[in-house]
Amino acid sequence: MTPIAPPVLITGLAFHAEPPPAEVGDYVPAVGTSREEKEILATLEDKAAAKTASDYQHIVWAYGILWALFAAYGLFLWRRSARLRADVDVLRRALERTEAGGGPRG
Amino acid sequence: MKRKSELVVPLLFVAAAPLVVYSVQRVFLHTPNERTMGTAFKIFFFHVPMGWLCMLMALISGIAAYVQLRRRSRTAGAVALAAAEIGFLGGLGVLLTGPIWGHATWGTPWTGDARQVTTALLWLVIAAYLLLRHFGQHASERLAAALAIFGAVNVPLIYYAVKLWKTTHPTTGVVAKLPPEMWATFWPGLAALLLVSFGLFAIRARQLILAGELDEAYVRLEDSRA
Repeated sequence: MTPIAPPVLITGLAFHAEPPPAEVGDYVPAVGTSREEKEILATLEDKAAAKTASDYQHIVWAYGILWALFAAYGLFLWRRSARLRADVDVLRRALERTEAGGGPRG
Repeated sequence: MKRKSELVVPLLFVAAAPLVVYSVQRVFLHTPNERTMGTAFKIFFFHVPMGWLCMLMALISGIAAYVQLRRRSRTAGAVALAAAEIGFLGGLGVLLTGPIWGHATWGTPWTGDARQVTTALLWLVIAAYLLLRHFGQHASERLAAALAIFGAVNVPLIYYAVKLWKTTHPTTGVVAKLPPEMWATFWPGLAALLLVSFGLFAIRARQLILAGELDEAYVRLEDSRA
């Protein structure tokens, strides 16, 4: 009989070693994923990847908001300009009236 | 004949127009999707420039407000207010587009990370400054200027937030690491946004200066009639 070297013996023992006994009621059987489940998962992942690569909803919203903000501010500036122009006209007319009436007294 | 300074604003918009068209068609048609974030990553090309615009305008507003406090300059006050309005716009843009992007990629619009919170804080400071300038009494201008300076001090905090605290935002070097095809989309977009923003800023600053001069003219007229 061939003698067995100690390291080989130890390795062999390790492979044949039993897992520690589970407590009563702790046992949970390992359940694998069925082929159908794997196929459903792969389909869902493909769908999610396709959506991520082609869904422009977020970007359209983001750009729409930015352009709307700038458009609103542009409108605000335009209205302010119109009001200022009206104020300048009022001032000009008031100055003309003052000059026609003999100029300022102060 | 128009003065040279009056031609600057139209020139800014004329220069911005082709850049806006170019950058938008690059974003939608020629820039590849980022591998994990997909199309949502394209928000980056205007989200980041809006953030930079907000910070730049807050700095300009803070510096102008300091000059206004030191020299009692009405022009500096107008510049500070105009810059704050554009900064408010930029801040609103970044705070609205960020959650849209976050919802698409993180699964939540708001994670409450350091950069989000410091940006929101800056935007609130700018909002408070604008409220004080528009509705405060004459004496509140000094308080408003102090707020603008506080906002400017907050800007480096936003920049370094991603280094100082745990954050879901990428680090500060993300733009430098962009691949060439994204790099070529980012810079024209930033240039377009800055040209449009400085055009609007110039218009607003001029309006505010003119409004101040008009007020003075009315007071002089009333005095002369008295």
